[in-house]
Amino acid sequence: MWNLLASLADGSSLNQWIQETYWLWPVMEIIHFIGLVLLLGGLIVVDLRMAGHLRVIKPNATHQLLPFVIAGFVLNLITGSLFFVGDPGRYSINIGFQIKMALVGLAGLNALLYHWKVSPIMSNWDHNADSPLLAKCIAYTSLTVWTGVLLTGRLIPYVGTG
Amino acid sequence: MLTTLENTSIALWVGESLWAYPSLLACHIVGLAIVAGIFSMRDLKLLGLFPALDIAVFRHLLRLALLGFAINAISGFLLFSSQASYLATSIPFLSKLVCIAVGMSTALVLQSRLSFQLVSGLESTSVDRATQLLAALSLSVWVSAIIAGRLIAYIF
Repeated sequence: MWNLLASLADGSSLNQWIQETYWLWPVMEIIHFIGLVLLLGGLIVVDLRMAGHLRVIKPNATHQLLPFVIAGFVLNLITGSLFFVGDPGRYSINIGFQIKMALVGLAGLNALLYHWKVSPIMSNWDHNADSPLLAKCIAYTSLTVWTGVLLTGRLIPYVGTG
Repeated sequence: MLTTLENTSIALWVGESLWAYPSLLACHIVGLAIVAGIFSMRDLKLLGLFPALDIAVFRHLLRLALLGFAINAISGFLLFSSQASYLATSIPFLSKLVCIAVGMSTALVLQSRLSFQLVSGLESTSVDRATQLLAALSLSVWVSAIIAGRLIAYIF
């Protein structure tokens, strides 16, 4: 799949523009880092409350953070796609990138499970009670998988080809 | 002194081991997400966002933020040790350190203001002007620290 995408990106006008615009790469990296701070910063609060910690706040009070989590994800989806288009030959065969993308996919499925199974019932939760087991599993999976995304993402320049 | 640091066995290990430098960078980004993530959400809250979220939650998250800071102070020092004399003259690196110092000092001041407000029973909906200015300062220095940190690799 990544090879197909890489062959589509390679030589495209967007690919050439990214490679020729010398300041673009560091600017995209900065945006990618700010995006990850929004994504992870919001998720730390959302997931810890979902797991039953931070009971000083109502379980569904954290829903207000979700637009920032999603905004961080969208920023990183855009900048991340531009990294790929800018250097497709390097990313498509990089094992760090491939594992990172698998983990992002897993995090997406986990988020859907939250959306369908946990989010609708959160307003019924007792403020002071422990969270349901499913909610705890989803919350800790989210924090673990996103930490994995950070680690594998940062290792992309250092690991070999797949 | 910096050359002495660069020649310590731990600095040489960071510089020469195949895995030390990338592993430390990987730890550094996890710490970054924890510190800047928690503090930026706190700042956005103080600036008037997330009305349903009680500000007290950030008093409870301070320890986690400090853990993130500790991870980055240690991993950052080890990364620094392998290139100490070069980084000591890098403008982006020095700017990053200043931003972090301001960000952490602001965090301590904000923490004491939050504790005081909570003790005196004031609701988080009425954040005073000085606290909001501190929150805006904090948000801007953490963004600046990220920008400066990234530019270390590009500006000599």
